[in-house]
Parts: sequence; C-alpha cells; structure tokens
Amino acid sequence: MFTIPLFVLFGAMAVGCALAMVAQRNPLYSAISLIGVFVSLACLYMTLQAPFIAAVQVIVYAGAIMVLVVFVIMLLNVEEEVRRPVRLRFLVPVGVLLAAILIGEAAFILKLPGAASRIDAFGQRPSDVGLTASIGTALFTEYLLPFEVTSVLILMALVGAITLARRTATPRLAAPGNVDTEPPELGPRGEVFIRPGDTAETGRAFARHQLQRGEAAASAKRTGEEGER
Amino acid sequence: MIPLSWYLALSAVLFTIGVVGVIIKRNVISMFMCIELMLNAVNLTFVAFSSYFGDVTGQLFVFIVMTVAAAEAAVGLGIVIAIFRNRESLDVDDASVLRL
Repeated sequence: MFTIPLFVLFGAMAVGCALAMVAQRNPLYSAISLIGVFVSLACLYMTLQAPFIAAVQVIVYAGAIMVLVVFVIMLLNVEEEVRRPVRLRFLVPVGVLLAAILIGEAAFILKLPGAASRIDAFGQRPSDVGLTASIGTALFTEYLLPFEVTSVLILMALVGAITLARRTATPRLAAPGNVDTEPPELGPRGEVFIRPGDTAETGRAFARHQLQRGEAAASAKRTGEEGER
Repeated sequence: MIPLSWYLALSAVLFTIGVVGVIIKRNVISMFMCIELMLNAVNLTFVAFSSYFGDVTGQLFVFIVMTVAAAEAAVGLGIVIAIFRNRESLDVDDASVLRL
C-alpha cells in the first residue's frame, strides 16, 4: 500500500543522485552522490522484499567500496576537473546520442504491444526468497562452486592490489628533469630510506643517479669482458 | 502493487546515466564510479526479477556481482594510484599511451 510512494521517492532519489554524480566536476562530490544512489537502491531492495541484499548493499557498497574510493580521492588530493581542450570533443554528443538510443530502446521494449502486460503478469507475492536463511541455504548447497571460485577471485584481487600499489625499492624512473637535490643515502643492502623533506624531485634525482651508476657499471662490465677476450 | 516494468525502466535509466558518465567524464575515478553505477543498475534488475519470480538465484547473482565489484574496486584503485604515481595526473588523456 505504501510501496508506490516509496518506489517513486527512492527511484527519484536514485536518478537525481546519479545525475548529480555525472554533473559534478569534483570527484569527492560525485562519490557522495553515488553513496546517495546506493542508499536509495538499498531502500528499493527493501520494497522488493530482499532485506539481505539491501543490508549487503549498504555494508559492502556504501561502506567498503565507497570508503576505498573516498580514501583514494583524498590520498591523491584530487582537485576539480580542470576544463581544458578535450582531444575527443565529439564524445559529448556521442554520449548524449547513445543515451537517447538506450532509453528509446528500453521504452520501445517496455511499450511493445502486450510486452508490459506479459511482464507485469508476474505479480509480486509475499515470499521468503530474500531472507538470509534461504540465500545462505542456496549459497552453500546448490551454488557452492561459484562461492568457492569467488573466494579465489578475491585472493587474486588482494595479491594484485598489493602488487600494484606497493612502493618499489627504487623509485620509478621519471622523465629526466632538472636534478638539483642530493640523492638519498642507500642502506647497507641497497634499500632507500625516505627522509623527512624528501620530494618527488629527490626521487627523480635518485633515479637519475641510479641510471648513471647502472650505465657506468654496464660499460665497466663490457670493457672487462672485452679485456678478457 | 508496483508493476515489474517500473523497476526495469528505472534500471534502464540508471544504466544509461552510467554509460553517459563513462563516455563524457575525463577523470579516472569518476569513470570508475560510473561503472559502479552501471553494475548497480543491473543488480536492481536481478533483484526485481528474483522477487517477482520467487527465485533465489537472482539475489545470489547480485551477491556475486557485489563481490566482483569489490575486487574490481581494489585492483582498479591500485591501478589508479600507479598511474598517478607515474604521471601525476588522473586525466585519461594523459594515460593514453602505455609507455612513459
């Protein structure tokens, strides 16, 4: 009885927050709008009698994933998107055209003669499929293999994320810039210690230093080999 | 009593907004969030069908999609950090070539 107003309210909230997300230029505001979308979708799941999915939506999406995104935005100190000459200027009209086509397609399918009545013949009925108990039963009996494969996937993502975000022992080689800072001292086993006050400039200087040393060592080795011959 | 087609229409609208965002946004993190929005639109379809058909499979699929999205977030943001460390920019136009 309250479901139609609830659907209208949360559906409008979801669409409004999604539009705000695309319209915002600051990624942090986009993230907050996206959290609004997630929360209103969780409320829609409640109207669909899926309390477990609604709870997981709030915990995993609005909790874990968005915390990660906001953390990265703040870590990288992302400024607002600067307006600058876009190389692919035609993308905006293409995007709008694609949107119109997608919406038209969906409207066409839903408005096909008889389609809507056939879809809507499935009445929502009170059921217990959304309860945690029934989801858990299905997950650990019939769908056990996908569940286990998912755990392998998470392990792979864990290893991949650590490998990608790890600080390497030597700084990545940047474009040769002006070297005006002292390269940092090396530890006993060749590791780098970051000192307070070190900047990206120090890292570049160090990288250049390493490169020069490596070239020197390589040429020394080459001359040594030639001498042996 | 809400007709099922309403949920499908809402899901189509959300998905379209996500597609447009991926196409017109230039910031890697914003594009990433638009992809999350598209995943959520599809999740809504799954849950709606699952609830109307009285079948639990759709909600299980949503559960697995959420897991994949979490894994994608971890790896994707790792890639974003790696790109930022190399190029000091999050604009996709600055990362259009693989070499430095």
